[in-house]
Amino acid sequence: MSVTKMQDKLAVNKYDIDNDVHILIDEDICSRCEHHRCIYACPADCYTLENEHITYSYEGCLECGSCRIACDKGSVKWILPRPGFGVCFVYG
Amino acid sequence: MVEFDAIIVGAGPAGCACAYTLAKQQLKVLLIERGKFAGSKNMWGGALYGPVLGDLSPEFLKEAPIERYVKRRILSLLSEESYFSLESAVNNESPDVPQDGAIILRAKFDRWFAEKARKAGAILANGVQVEDLLWKDGSIVGVKVGKDEIHGSVVVACDGVNSILAQKAGLKAELNPVGVKQGVKEVIKLPLETIEQRFNIQGNEGIAWEFLGKCTRGLPGGGFIYTNKDSLSVGVVVQLNALLENKVKANDLLEDFKRQPVVARLIDGGTLVEYSSHLIPTYGVSSTSRLFSDRFLITGDAAGLVLGTGLILEGANFAIASGIAAAKAIVRAKETGDFSAKALSHYQRLLEDNFVLKDFKTFKKMTHVLENPRLYSTYPDLVCSLWHKIHTNDGNPRKSVRQLLKEELKGRVSWWQLARDLIHMGGSL
Amino acid sequence: MNIIVCIKQIMDPEIPTGKFKIDPEANRVIPSEGIPPVINPFDAQAIEVALRLKEANGANVTAITVGGQDVEDVVRYAISMGVDEGILVSDEAFKALNSFVTAFILSRAISRIGQYDLILCGRQAADRDAGHVGLMLGEMLNLPIITMAKAVTLSSDKFRVEHVITEGYQVYEVGMPALITISDEIGPPRRPSGWGVIAAAMGKEIPTWSAQDIGVNLSDVDIKSVRSETIRLFIPDSRRKGEVIQGNNVAEASANLMARLRADGII
Repeated sequence: MSVTKMQDKLAVNKYDIDNDVHILIDEDICSRCEHHRCIYACPADCYTLENEHITYSYEGCLECGSCRIACDKGSVKWILPRPGFGVCFVYG
Repeated sequence: MVEFDAIIVGAGPAGCACAYTLAKQQLKVLLIERGKFAGSKNMWGGALYGPVLGDLSPEFLKEAPIERYVKRRILSLLSEESYFSLESAVNNESPDVPQDGAIILRAKFDRWFAEKARKAGAILANGVQVEDLLWKDGSIVGVKVGKDEIHGSVVVACDGVNSILAQKAGLKAELNPVGVKQGVKEVIKLPLETIEQRFNIQGNEGIAWEFLGKCTRGLPGGGFIYTNKDSLSVGVVVQLNALLENKVKANDLLEDFKRQPVVARLIDGGTLVEYSSHLIPTYGVSSTSRLFSDRFLITGDAAGLVLGTGLILEGANFAIASGIAAAKAIVRAKETGDFSAKALSHYQRLLEDNFVLKDFKTFKKMTHVLENPRLYSTYPDLVCSLWHKIHTNDGNPRKSVRQLLKEELKGRVSWWQLARDLIHMGGSL
Repeated sequence: MNIIVCIKQIMDPEIPTGKFKIDPEANRVIPSEGIPPVINPFDAQAIEVALRLKEANGANVTAITVGGQDVEDVVRYAISMGVDEGILVSDEAFKALNSFVTAFILSRAISRIGQYDLILCGRQAADRDAGHVGLMLGEMLNLPIITMAKAVTLSSDKFRVEHVITEGYQVYEVGMPALITISDEIGPPRRPSGWGVIAAAMGKEIPTWSAQDIGVNLSDVDIKSVRSETIRLFIPDSRRKGEVIQGNNVAEASANLMARLRADGII
């Protein structure tokens, strides 16, 4: 098996994507952050650094909760998606 | 107003075991699951070790959706050039003894387990999220789901590693990246015959294979492969803090791991069918941890009942055992009508008396040994290289093992350091 | 007022595209391993309309479904949304049905219920998108039918229905009993509340009617009268090609785009 790109990996998963976001960040705090630990915490590459700015998406979230405890600046607000939404593992 | 004897939050192994046991005792039980179905938010390595499932009902061992039983366990040390393995196998004809370990996929297993609890009489509510505890006069009287309030004599938090309820009840502090590991895993489909051929197994035999060393670039953790029926679970587990400090993504380690020649061959031609991740609470339960309060209990991952000793990374068996113990304490409390912390402390005593907390005590020192970075890079490299040289005949007269070891140690680690590490490791066992 | 809502369980439309498989020989979709079926989203909207009518005027709402042994969850879901009663018309013989036979079974089951003032259906099922059953059922029960409603209200024993047309909507009034199919313009349906789910899980057993119970013998159904047939089921080729149309400024790029679309016969 060859290396799989993250978007291709996530594309095989079953998701029920909510219109309500369950991840919020404080851009002010992120712009002053020196280490952006969220990037390395998230196993689904939900956080990316573009032109020195953190951008994020919630759709591919695997609901592990790593970003919540990795951010030591108090920027990431991660809650569970509403019931019935989010990732749905069928193997696990 | 409906009042339940017990509200169990989370239909994982702990919650299902608790709900099943209580329902069998005719208690009025509500089992709440946030996923569409039990298991839909859960993942693990993994295999279930020990007799806990059979303790609940001997039938369960026959009925449970078990992929394969662990016939062989392999531990491999990976270096750049080679790998060194220790392998153990059960000699019986078919490895269906529960102690050998049952390889399980959680989305199937938890769903089955929750259905067992439901059939035993528990009310199973899927797709419901508990946002908070319900308090009255300083005492927990139930849970809040959206605008609704659900009342119960006792609430059991089986809501996993990110337990909201354990924190709300004041029994747990916020998680810390040092105290948790992050697991990432791919489920890779392969024809059943290919798996049997590549792993030299047949029937219900399976393999649990763990890797240390290069697969985590020396970070504390390891890689794993489990054989499911017609798929492989391939993943990496690393301490979260190590990922953050070293600016490494677990998924990059997983991709590295899949490229290792030994792994690449095993998964060749397979199709990725799921990519998942989870946190594992490896901070360890200490003697001062309190897993109960008035009308409230915590179990399983929510209580931190995961044993992560390196040799062993187990949680589901402790989860099930803690769920059963919680149920026993609740049944007793129901008899006397006393759900106070004093009455429910029986739960923690049960855990102390059975294998759950005893195991944690036994391996307490192990966690310190595991912090030793040499375990994940220097030693795997050293063992692989030494073993390779012992067996290499390059045409020149061979050196003694002692001489080879001396050469291997040079520049890597001192004799003194090696001796100390060995004594530590030995002592922690 | 008694309202009956016909609901269908379908394969989850959110199955990852790579996991959606069909059996072209049998013209059949292969159920995706481990992904549970869901309520047809259009039927959930029909339930929403029923519940709004109930809230405004008071009503008893019954949800009914037809299927094999494994469709109880969809009825429980309806109850968790707020429906009063559920009926499961279930028989081993009812596993693979076409629109006509489904409508026929429903008509018999609804006749057994007897008293009703309104029958609601989703505009179509999100699996095959045929939209036949509601119309056929209305014919079989000899009811006035209004399709594609984006609003239904009750005023002095008549339903006021806004029927969607291409240019907007038309307003109809219809007496009781009637059959109305609901358009998705009605908006997203409510999601079950926590207590709704718990109450539905605790609720009484859902009555299950067999073919015999409603006097249906499928061998009596004239299969020739089945007026639709699946000729070929296939997954369309979804290869996508991207092309960026260039230009020195927006106006020029727009002109180039128009020229290109015309050249390709798209406009």
